[in-house]
Formats: sequence, structure tokens, C-alpha cells
Amino acid sequence: MTGINQIARYKLSRRRFLEGATAAGSVAGISTLGLGQAWADEQPKPAEIVVRAWGGVWVESLKAGVSDPFTQMTGIAVRHDLTEDNEIQPKVWAAVDQGRVPPININWDTTINATKSALRGVTEDLSDLPNLANVLPVAKPEGLEGVPLVNVYAYVYVLAYRNEAFPSGAPTSWNDLLDPRFKGRVALYNDGIGMHAPAVVAGGGKLADIPANMQPAWDYFSKLKAQNPLLGEDPDFTAWFQKGEIDVACTISSNAREAKKNGIPVAWTVPKEGATLDTDCLWIPKGLPAADLYWTKQYVNYAIGQAGQQAWLGPLGLPGVVPGLTPPEDLVGDLSYPTTSDDLAKLLQVSPKIQVEHQSEWFAKFKEIMQG
Amino acid sequence: MTDRSKAVVLWLLVGFSVVTLSAPTAVIIGASLTSGKIVTFPPDGLSLQWYAQILGAFDLRAAFLRSLYVATVCTLIALPCGTLAGIVFAKHRIRFRKGIQVYLLLPFTIPLIGSGVGLMLVFGAGGLLGSLWPVGLACCAINLPFMIWAVAGSANALDPDLEKAAANCGAPPVQTFLTVTLPAVMPGVITGALLMFILALNEFLVSLLLVDSRIVTLPVLIYNSIRSIITPDLAAISVVFVVVAAMVIAILDRLVGLDIFLKSK
Amino acid sequence: MRHYSTAYPLSWRIFDAVEALAKRVWPARFAPWLPYLLLLPALLVTGLLVIGLIEIADSSLHVLDKATFRSSESYSLENFERALTASLFRNIGLRSFLGAILVTAVTLVLAFPYAYVLVRTESPILRKLLLIVLFLPFFIGQVVRAYGWLIILGNEGILNTSLSFLGIGPFRLLFNYWAVLFGLVQTMIPFAVLMLAPALTAIPKETERAAESLGANWIRTFQYVVIPLARPGMVGAAIVVFTLTLTDFAIPAVLGGGSNDFIANAIYDQFFRTSDAGLGSALTLLLIIAGSAAVGVALLLVGIGTLGLAGHDDD
Repeated sequence: MTGINQIARYKLSRRRFLEGATAAGSVAGISTLGLGQAWADEQPKPAEIVVRAWGGVWVESLKAGVSDPFTQMTGIAVRHDLTEDNEIQPKVWAAVDQGRVPPININWDTTINATKSALRGVTEDLSDLPNLANVLPVAKPEGLEGVPLVNVYAYVYVLAYRNEAFPSGAPTSWNDLLDPRFKGRVALYNDGIGMHAPAVVAGGGKLADIPANMQPAWDYFSKLKAQNPLLGEDPDFTAWFQKGEIDVACTISSNAREAKKNGIPVAWTVPKEGATLDTDCLWIPKGLPAADLYWTKQYVNYAIGQAGQQAWLGPLGLPGVVPGLTPPEDLVGDLSYPTTSDDLAKLLQVSPKIQVEHQSEWFAKFKEIMQG
Repeated sequence: MTDRSKAVVLWLLVGFSVVTLSAPTAVIIGASLTSGKIVTFPPDGLSLQWYAQILGAFDLRAAFLRSLYVATVCTLIALPCGTLAGIVFAKHRIRFRKGIQVYLLLPFTIPLIGSGVGLMLVFGAGGLLGSLWPVGLACCAINLPFMIWAVAGSANALDPDLEKAAANCGAPPVQTFLTVTLPAVMPGVITGALLMFILALNEFLVSLLLVDSRIVTLPVLIYNSIRSIITPDLAAISVVFVVVAAMVIAILDRLVGLDIFLKSK
Repeated sequence: MRHYSTAYPLSWRIFDAVEALAKRVWPARFAPWLPYLLLLPALLVTGLLVIGLIEIADSSLHVLDKATFRSSESYSLENFERALTASLFRNIGLRSFLGAILVTAVTLVLAFPYAYVLVRTESPILRKLLLIVLFLPFFIGQVVRAYGWLIILGNEGILNTSLSFLGIGPFRLLFNYWAVLFGLVQTMIPFAVLMLAPALTAIPKETERAAESLGANWIRTFQYVVIPLARPGMVGAAIVVFTLTLTDFAIPAVLGGGSNDFIANAIYDQFFRTSDAGLGSALTLLLIIAGSAAVGVALLLVGIGTLGLAGHDDD
């Protein structure tokens, strides 16, 4: 299959996302856990389940929005494992390979990472989750057999900036990062994640060029390299903004928002070229005892229900996958919280499958430019 | 070239090291006293709120106790393994010495990620993941050269004539070992063991791959809890960690007298 | 005979029993093999890592199949070819080796006086203070420590703010190669001091005094007496610092600003980011081979295969 076909298919899915988003879907199964009650009674309950999560506001929102209500309803405690998503992956893979019970019941993961696990065949099928009936099409992964993972929200890699550095208003283009006055004051994720699509567009290409022609992105990154950018991760960005090391960064909107809430003078914007839209998901590794698997699925089911989504994603400021969620007040009209088809048209989406297929190649090229 | 110039040169170099070693810690101690929500120095108003918060946290205390356990296991394994090997290098003629030395340096020439991934597979196959003592064993395996080299390094205190003299006087081998050899290499044993203990207490990269959320150790917990902001509670944890460790060193000093072993005769 | 045996203190009898046991377990004719027996525990513990390496070696011979994200069935050397030919890995490799050499040299220069003062000072309080300062950095995790450096050395940090009063700066002191080397030296000083200290305690003060009473100034005394006698410790410290620096991961990650990776960072990327355990394994093996070769050559050049007495060196 060719990349162009994949893009065509993915465009279709984006349209499906929109249809769902605009439909005033009826809300069903809010509080019930789904599946037959009689069968549920027969399943012995584990004392606890372990959910991998990111730290800080991420785990706090999950705990308050999903885990605590789940414990209240089922009596099953929820433990949060804060190992980074990319660092838990080899642990889970080794456990499944060696026939051990995996160290976590649920992985809250990027869809890219999770797709690799799905391709490897270490994920449980989730197609019997009752709440899947009420989610937007984007929740179900494209191009994978069954439902090895459920997407739970979308997020945007925005251009975050220090207010002080832009007295006359927000930057309007990713090319503003190339302005000589930001030499040494630009930050990106150290694997370049979130930047490939904007780099293609800012480098003179089109979204449809991905993955066939990435040259515009490499040209853009080469110019950016001359700016001596800092490469790091979210805690670095926050610290660097706080300590005046950088003026601009490509980062996930939730983290910029969290930094702002903690008194760091940053704002964010989606430049005219657009910004990357990606999704995160939940999945269950193979190898859990049957009863544990049953209750673990109930957790995922609750997390994609209306109540779970609203309570969980509000504090994160992220658009969920069920219709009818109320956006946080400060994000109404913000492109980093897309709600309309117009919003989505301004964002850049590359299918997880294409990203997974080309990740190591793009990564190597990015590193080659940045480590030169 | 007077004694004065010697003191000046030595203290300039030592002073530079002291400042370099303690500056970040000093800043973090200061920052942990902030009354604000972000780590900053000078602190944003003084408060002990972050200490109050971490002292109430059960998971932190549990993780700290686990780290102590791991460090103890590590040190107990390292003591015999490292001391014996160090003594061999110091006083025995053996074949393939250099080959064996290069082999025993593998823990340092293998990058920690390689050791971690390898041990995860080995322990996983052996059904050992999920227990805490294998983490101590792993910490010993990755740091063992410290113990060996510290002991071997103190070997020039070991006068072969003294051992021969003991043997000539009829002292049997075990007694010679316990009363002549071992005391001679004791400075190396103490420094090596101290280092093994402290490194195991703070190990995170390999432990990350060997623990799960039920048996998480303190350094792994701290490393993992940093997401978008370095909050002052992490600074406070570090400070408490330093204080507890200083107490451990003090107790150790009381028990075995570090001074005796680190002071030149 | 009873009254006769009680004439010995209890400890003698215990010793006798232990000796007898030792003799049974390890008769005298096995004596030549005793050193190998003593090495056995260390060999076994290190062997755990070697078993892991076997898995890694196997993995390095299989290419990642991106359709299944598993390693392919067939054996190939493709991962090694990629690791050896890509300019990225060559750059990173050179950077790591050069860094390891520089860091080793600077660390020894700083650690030697520290260890010397530590063991020679007459003040027990000073000795303990120096010891505590030595251990402090271990207890502040890498990420938090890096943050401490940002506060001190950052663009708006304490040092640059002070300099601005003098009308100079600010300078970008962090997030470059020099910052990485500085951070590595800071991390390595404690190790080097602790490797050197036992060696220095073994040099009697009288030896130094004797040299000085013969008219040598302190520099000559250091040059011809202290340093040669401390050589086993110096070699140990150098090898420890070199290998640890060469394989370090955390410092380049937190102080390098993301564009000063060492080999271990590239290995991390393959294992944890691109999920390419095969390429990661190949890089791991190459790093081990290069590091071990460097150590082997150093041991041959230095000419003391032993760290102990030069007189015992026979190979």
C-alpha cells in the first residue's frame, strides 16, 4: 500500500471525526459499567489495578476524573505507575514475550507508541467495550485489526512563547523561529516530535508531501540548527521559560497551559502553517488473568464514557472523544482545543501508521542535523 | 617553593572542587524553603510547607525504606565479592590478569542502559522481577568495580614481607588473612562499601527497568514524578535525602570510625 | 587432656577449627588455584551482566521488522553496518571518546589534591566535611541537580547576574559541549577521590618528610615520591573515570541542551524511542568493545597489570 492511499484514508477518518463532533450524540451508559451485571458479579475482583500515567497535572486529572470514581464504584484500588511511556514499552514487551503478568494493567500512551505495541501483537482487543458505541470515530484506530487501543483525546503541539519576547503580539509563523533575535532561544522536543509536519509546511512543502517528500522539513531543520536550538522535554521547557533561557518552544498545549497556571509568563498560538494534531490512547497489555482483564476493561470503558471524559480532560484542557463535552472556559475559541471543522482544517494531522513507519528514519535524519 | 605555596595551590584546587560539588545542592536546599509553587533561588518567601507535604506522604517513606533495603543488599553482596577480588589483584600472580581485569570492568564499559535491558531479560526469565532483592544484586553488579578497585588501590599498604613473616611464624592461612591481609586493605573496603551503599541508594536508570510501581525505589519515584514542572517538593525530598544520608554516614563513623581508615598513618 | 586445651583462649580454638575446615574444603595442593576461587564471586556477579549481553548480542544480529515491530528471523550484520557507517554515530562516538579523555585528565588534576588533603589533614572535622561534600551530589537527582546548575549558570543565573554588575556578559554557559564536560568532571570527582584516597593513606608521611629533609621542594616531592607511590590508585581512578564518562547518559542529556549527545544517549534513543533494540544492541556492543579495548591498551601501556605492587607484575 502506498503512502498516498493512507493519506486518503486518513482524510476520510478526519471527516468522520468531524461528523461525530458536530452531531449532538445522545449520551448513554454514563454511570453503568456496561456488560452484563450477572457476569460482572461472577468475576472475582483484583485488589488493585495499575495504570501507567504521566506525572503532574496529567496523573492528578486522571486520578480525580477516572480512577477515584472507578474505585468508588467497584472497590478496586487504582495504582498509578509514572514510568515514562517510552520507558515502560520495553518492560511490557519483555513481560509479554516471557509469558509474565505485565507490570501494568493499562497503558496511557501516545497513539504512535501504542501502534507499535499493537503491530507487535501485545495488546488486548477492546472491541467489546460498551461505551465504544458512543464515541467519535477518531477513538478507534485506523488501519489496525480490531480495536487494540482506544484514542481518548487529541492534543496540539503549539508554538509557546514568552510574552516579554513578543511585545507586539503573538508570532504568526513557524518561520519566526528563524529570526536572528531568537538565536539560542528556541526549544524543541529532543526527538523532533510535533515539528515534522509544520517544518514541511514552513519549509515550503505541503502536508500531502508527507511522507514522500520530507526535504522541505530537512531544509527547515537545517536552518533552525543554525539558530542553536535547545532540545529537551517538558520539564526543561518550563524551567527554560521560567529562567529566561528561551523565548519560543514547540510544546504540547497542556504543558504550556500548566506552566502559565503556575505563574510562568507564557502564552501559545497556532501559527498560520498550522500545528500538529495527535492523539493519546489507552490500551491493555496481553497476559493479564481473565478476571483482571475484565475489570481493567471496565476502567477503560469508564474513561471513554461521558462522565469520565469530562472530569478527566477538563483540567488538562484537551478535547475528548465523546460528543458534547464542555471545553474549559479559558480555551473557548483557542485552536489548541479544536471543536469545529474550521478549527481542524487549520491543524496538521499525519496518520499514526505513517508516523510509525517512518519514525526511525525521520528521527535519524533529525538527529543527524541537530547533532552535527 | 615553600609550604605556603603548597597550601595555596592545594587549597585553590580543593576549593574549586568543594564549590563545584556543593553549589547545586546549596541552591536546591535554599529553593526547597520557598513559599511559592515553583523552584527558584533565592526562594520566593520562606516556608516549610513543602517539607510538611512530603513528610505526610506515605509512598515517599515506603520508597525510601525500599531504597535503604536495596542499598543494604547491594553492600552485603559487594563486601565479600569485591574485597576478595581486590586482594587477588593486589597480591597474587595470576594468569590472564589483564583479561580478567577487563572482564571485571564490564560493569563500567557496558552502558547502564545495556546492563538494565540485559538484567531485565535475565531476571524476567528467572522469575525474579517483582522482588526487591534482585534490584540490590543488580546495583552490586553494575558498581562492583568500585569495590574491587578501592580494595586493590589500598594494596600498597600490604607488605608481602609481613604476610610471609606471619606465615613463617606458623600462622595458618586463614589467620594470616584475617589478622594481616584484611586490616591492611580496610581503608579500601570502607571507602568501597560506602560508595556501593550510596550509589545503590541513588541508582535509578537500571532500577527503572527492574522495579514496578509496587516496589518503586525513591530515585525512580522522583525521576518519574517530574513531568512538566520541577516542583519544590522534589527539592525538599532531595534535602531530606541528604540529611538522612549524612546521618547514616555519621552513624557509620561512630560504629567503625571512618577517620581511622581515611587518615594517613 | 582437658586442662591442656583450656589453656588456649577460645579464639584460638575457633581459629583452629576454621583452619581445619579451610584445609578440608581447599587442601594445600589446590593452593595455586586459590586466587581463582577468591575471584569466583566477583566473576559470577559480573557474569549476570554477561548473560544479559548474550541476549543483546543475539538481538544485534536481527533487523527490526517494522510491520510487526519484532526482530526478523534471519541473521544479518545490517545493524552493525548502520552503526559503523552513519555519520551521526561517528560524530557522537568521537565526541564521547574525546570527552572521556579530557574529563579523565581534568578530574585527576582536581581529585588528587582533594584526596591528599582528605587523608593528610590533622583535623577530623575538616576530613568529615570534605567527605560529606564529596557525597552531596549523589543525593540530588540528575534532573533536580541540572536545575540547580540552571539557577547558578543560566543566562539569568547567579553567575551571569554577578558578571553584569561588572558590565560583562551575559554568557551562555550551559547547553554546550563545555557544560557537558564540566558536569561530567563534577560527577566524576567523588569517584576519583575515593579511588585515590586509600592509595594515599598507604604512603607514610615519613617518606614525604624524608624527601623534604633531603632538600626536595614540595613539587619535587609530589613528582618523585607521592605520585609514583600513588600510581596504583591513579591508574584505578583514571580507568574508572574514563569508562564511566565514556558510557555516561544523564549529563549529556541534561546539560548538553539536546545537541551534545554521547553514545549512551544514542543507545537510549534506539531502545526507548525508535523501539529498534537491534540497532541499540549493536551500538551497545560496539561501545563495550571500544571501551574494553581502550582499557586493555591502557593497562598494557601503564605496565602495571596489577594495581598493587609493581614487583608482582608478571604479564
